[in-house]
Parts: sequence; structure tokens; C-alpha cells
Amino acid sequence: MSLVASEVTKRFRDVTAVDNLSFTVQEGSLFGFLGPNGAGKTTTMRVVLDIIKPDEGRVTWKGLPFGQMGRGFFGYLPEERGLYPKMRLAEHLEFLGRIHGLDRRKAQLETERWIERFGLGDMRHKRIEELSKGNQQKVQTIGTMLHDPELLILDEPFSGLDPVNTALLKDVLLDAHGRGRTIIFSSHRMDQVEEICEDIVLINKGRLLLHGNLKKIKRSMGRQILRISLEGKEDFWAKIPDLELLNSRSDYQEFRLGEGVDPNEVLAEAMRAGQVLRFELVEPSLDQIFVEKVGAMA
Amino acid sequence: MSMIPVLVKREFTSRVKGTAYILTTLFGVLVFVALSFLPPIMERINQSMNPGQIDLMVYEQDGESGILPYLQEVSETRDGFALRSGSGFSEQEAYQIVLDEGLSGLLLVDGPLYTLVTTDASNVILNDEIESILNMAVSRYNATRLGLSPEDMNSLFGRVDFRVREVSPLSDDGEELDSVAHTQAMVLAYFLLFMIYMALIMYGNMVASGVAEEKSSRIMEVMVSTVKPLELMLGKIIGVGALGLFQFFIWIGTGLLMNTMGKSGFLGGLLGATQPLSTIPLTTILWFGLYFVLGYFFYASIFAAAGALVSRVEEVSQVVTVIMMLLMAGFFAAYISFLNPNGSVAVVTSLIPFTSPMVMFARIVLGNPPMMEVIASVVLLVAALLIVAWISAKIYHIGILMYGKRPSLRQVLRLIRD
Repeated sequence: MSLVASEVTKRFRDVTAVDNLSFTVQEGSLFGFLGPNGAGKTTTMRVVLDIIKPDEGRVTWKGLPFGQMGRGFFGYLPEERGLYPKMRLAEHLEFLGRIHGLDRRKAQLETERWIERFGLGDMRHKRIEELSKGNQQKVQTIGTMLHDPELLILDEPFSGLDPVNTALLKDVLLDAHGRGRTIIFSSHRMDQVEEICEDIVLINKGRLLLHGNLKKIKRSMGRQILRISLEGKEDFWAKIPDLELLNSRSDYQEFRLGEGVDPNEVLAEAMRAGQVLRFELVEPSLDQIFVEKVGAMA
Repeated sequence: MSMIPVLVKREFTSRVKGTAYILTTLFGVLVFVALSFLPPIMERINQSMNPGQIDLMVYEQDGESGILPYLQEVSETRDGFALRSGSGFSEQEAYQIVLDEGLSGLLLVDGPLYTLVTTDASNVILNDEIESILNMAVSRYNATRLGLSPEDMNSLFGRVDFRVREVSPLSDDGEELDSVAHTQAMVLAYFLLFMIYMALIMYGNMVASGVAEEKSSRIMEVMVSTVKPLELMLGKIIGVGALGLFQFFIWIGTGLLMNTMGKSGFLGGLLGATQPLSTIPLTTILWFGLYFVLGYFFYASIFAAAGALVSRVEEVSQVVTVIMMLLMAGFFAAYISFLNPNGSVAVVTSLIPFTSPMVMFARIVLGNPPMMEVIASVVLLVAALLIVAWISAKIYHIGILMYGKRPSLRQVLRLIRD
């Protein structure tokens, strides 16, 4: 157990941005921090990082409050990106390394290494304001992990990146994960979260909706999703009670199995209706869990 | 380990290469070079204020008025003044001579009325000169008529021999005030005062817009997550201060260089006698340094807080207006103190931290204020500086993550209280 947020509440005048929120992040895990817009993700991250003080509750890292950890043990990529526009790329990275506690030599060394890895070599002397948005984002992302922090907190790290750079960043994150670093990141792209995260927390309106291991969460959702593709009478399902059509795609139809519906009976019914090309029982996607959980709360 | 050196270095190196900084530095250098050329230029201006050679023809319209010998007498005491009598000519002929020979003018005397007829009536300097000569002549003429001797005249119109002695508890016989030295001190104090004023405005604004820039470019959030707001603020203030100091070194260096060149004869003839910089007493420079640094930190903290209250650089000018007014008040108070360095306005404003950096400095250079008042002013300024820095760091802490509408004064006060 390494990062523990216990009963954190943060109010801004009459709005409660974070409401009695508790969660833990295991050391070395890749942790997804999810929630719809305005759910309180950024505020929670700021509280975790000790940028703003919570009204109630506390956050600790390995049992110690964040204020005592000294600089450089974490890296933070805020959702609102920002760099000094007049500074030059290499100079800026070096500066970010320095304020995270690296000495000058180490900062220069790491700057070179990361510039190489992200292929920014021919831009090293350009001003930040001359770079494209995507490259600025790369610079800032590098700035959060130049000093190889124990804890990485990234707010929407993939937004604004093209597929090539998305893959590159994914690699970098998995690499850090392999070296035992703890990574917390938020994203709107549930497929990306599903792809790399082990644990998640889902919040809405400042309150906790889901927390834990992603696989367990999926399993515990109970209801199974059924995908059927057949040539024949596609409306056969209407006879079966408690079978709800979720999604009708050109390649298959997706249903939710109600309580006490035997998938085998559905299969039998489908075979009577025509040639079954596909019959598959799947777990709900994170997307569906997200929509369902958040939707239920609204 | 404090991050202030790293922040100061960034602030300094990223700005020192900026176009705005280089341009203002060059402009300052030009001003200093121009200042060295000021004495000869002033001389030129003085020369053009001199009417030069005056050739005047006097025409008495109703025969002898008796003024002519006195005019003659006065004209002999003045260089470049030639007088010619118009008697024997008609008025018409006299005009003709003035025009033909290009004389300065024709003075028509008609009883108590004197009329100057000239081809260049708009030459006020010439008109004034002739009027004053005429006045002197008429005074002497009237004095003779009243039976006064030249000695009587002198005792009536001569200047009083007036000296000023300053008595202090330390030297009871009093020290005579050298009025030339006093004027020099005043010019010097005024110059240094203006430097303080300009520096506070220039670098204060640089601090405020720097903070606003960090906010608007959203780098602030990364910064506050790793660096304490007070460190961040001090880093900015010291960084900009170092830029200012560097600029001043360049300027003053230019001044000194021009000065030595003037002395060594290389530019000597051209520059004339320039000496103000080399005659500045060391204590004055030390006081200047002390009040400059204290004043800068005091005002820069306020400017930093102001910058933290806005979200965009364009809004900075709105919030700094109030601070600029305080600075202007200080400048005017110092100006008033120049005329009476120990008057009540000077004493009071030299204790108030908002005005004391400028006023007390002016008083020290000009007026020998009581040591108690100087100490009180420094102590008050340092105390106020600490309080202001503490409050500003608080506003800074909260303000830098606040975007959108500028908070009202009430909200700011509540933020400080929390």
C-alpha cells in the first residue's frame, strides 16, 4: 500500500468538488483515474500533490504526508499544459530537471537521453513557442519524468498525441512500470485505460463510484454481455424476456442478459431463427461500465 | 536545498537575451552618452540666449532729453553694445541708416516713452536686453536728478551679502553652507531619486507581468507542485532585480567611462568639465544602495501579488495602476522634500514605507536628518517589507491557481485571512 487518500473533502465556496473520497494505489501499479468532465479529477490530483489543501482528510505516500517527501519523488503533468514560451527546448528540459532536484550534470545528461528517445534532436535549440502543440506536449511529458520519479501523476497524457506518439508514450509508461514506478493517469479513452491499467478508481461529482482491480470489477459487474451474429430472422430475441438489446452493429448485435436467462436457451432460439455466425459471451467493456455507473448517478 | 538559485538563473538568462531588455539597455547607454555631452550643449544654448552684438541708434524726438549720456555710460560697461546718436538726422533718415547698415534697431525717445523700432521684433532676447540697459540708464539719470551719488546708488540697489550657516549640536560654531555644493548635491540627489523611481516602476512592472505570464502560460501548476510559492516569488523578484542591477552597472559604467574620457583629454574639449559622478560621496552611494534594495523588495512583492491576481498579461496594467500611484506620490513627496528636507511633509513621508525609500534618501543627501528618524525609517521599511512579502506570498499562493474573473478586494482580504 503506498498512496493512501483517506476521506478527502474539498469545497470551493458552495461547491463540493471532492466529497469524502478514499482510495489506495498500490506501489508499482498502473492506475487509471476515471470520471466524466467535472467529476473532480483535477482537484483530487491537486490535493494529492499538496498544491491545494483539503478541507478534510489526508493523503499519504508510504505512510508519510506528501509535504515531507521532498521534491523530485513525483512528476506531474497537469491537464492544462504550460511551458515558458520563450525558453529553448533543451534549456527548458534542463530547468525542469533542476527544479525536480537533479544537479546540473544529471539534468543535462537526462535531457539528452530523452530528446533522443522522443526524436526531438533537431529542435533542441528552438523556442517552445515555435514548436507544434504535439511537440510541446512531448516536452512537458518528458519534463515530468526526466528525474525518474517514484510516482507519476499524469492528467490526460494521451490527449493531443498522434497514434505514433501515443504508442511511444505507452511504451515509456510501461517501461517505467517495469522498473517498479507507480503511475496514476486519467483518461477519457476507456480503451487505453483497459489496455494498460490494472487498477482503477471511478469518481463522479466528487464521490467514489468504483475502486479496485479492473478485472475483478468487470467480473463483479455480474451481468454478462452477449454478442450474436446470424443470417436469418434477426428479431428472434424479442420472444425472450429479460434480453435487452444494447447495440445493433453491422457485424453483430449486443445484448445484456437479464437475471436468470440461460445463454444456452438464447443460443437454441437463435439457431432456430437462422445460421449462427457468432455467439460470444463477453465481459462488459469499461466504456459500458462507465456509462452505466455515471448514468445511474445522474 | 532551496530552488531559488535555479529560479533566479532561469529568470535572468531567459530575459537577458530578450529584445525588450537589450533595447532598453541600449537606450539607457545612449542617454548616458548624451548626458556627458550635456555641458557643451548647455553652453551652446547659453550662447544662443546671449543677444550678441547690439548696435542701437537713439533718436530723441523733441530735442535733448538728457538720457543719452547715461545710456552712453551704461553701454560702456557692457561688451558688444554700440550706441549712436541720431541727432542731426531727421527721423526718416535715421530709419534709413538702421535699414542700410543693418543695425539692431532705432530707439525713439519721446519724453517718458521709449519705443524700439526694429526689423526683428520677435527677438525677445534683444528686446529684453535693451529694456534692461534702458532701465539702468533711466535709474542713474533719475538718481542724478535727485542728487544721489554713485555710492548712494550702490547702497540702494546693490545685492545684500547673504550667507547661510547651519548649527548642529555637534559643531556649535555652525558650518557655512556652500551654495554651489548644495546645488550640486540637489542635482545629484534628483538624478538618483529619478533612478530609484524609474527602476521601481520598470522592474516592478516586469515582476507583475512575469507572474501573469506564468499564469497565462499555465506553467504555474507544474511550478507550484515542486516549488514553494514563497521561493517562486523570491526567485522572480531576485531574478528581475539582478537584471535591473546588471542594467544599472552597464549604464553607470558608461557614465564613468565617458567621464574619464572627458578628463583624460580624449574627449575633454568636447565634453567640458563633467564631474558629477566622481564627486559622489561614498555614503550617498551606500544610502542609495540600501534604499534602492529595500524599496525594490517592498514594491516588487506588491507587484508580484498584483500579477498573481490576474489571469492574462493584458490585465496587468489595470491592477498595477494603484501601485504606480503610490510610487508617484512618493516621487512628489520627495520632490517637495527637496525644497525643505526637514519640513513636516518630508518627515512624515520619510517614515511611511510606501514613500520612505525615495523621501528619506532625498533627505539624507540634502538635509542631514536626525539619526533617530533615519533608523526609524529603515526599521519601519524592513518591518513593512516582511509583512508585505508574507501577505503577497499568500495572495501569490492562492492567486496563481485562480483563473477567470479577477477577485474583488473583499475576496482578496478573505483569502489573506484564511
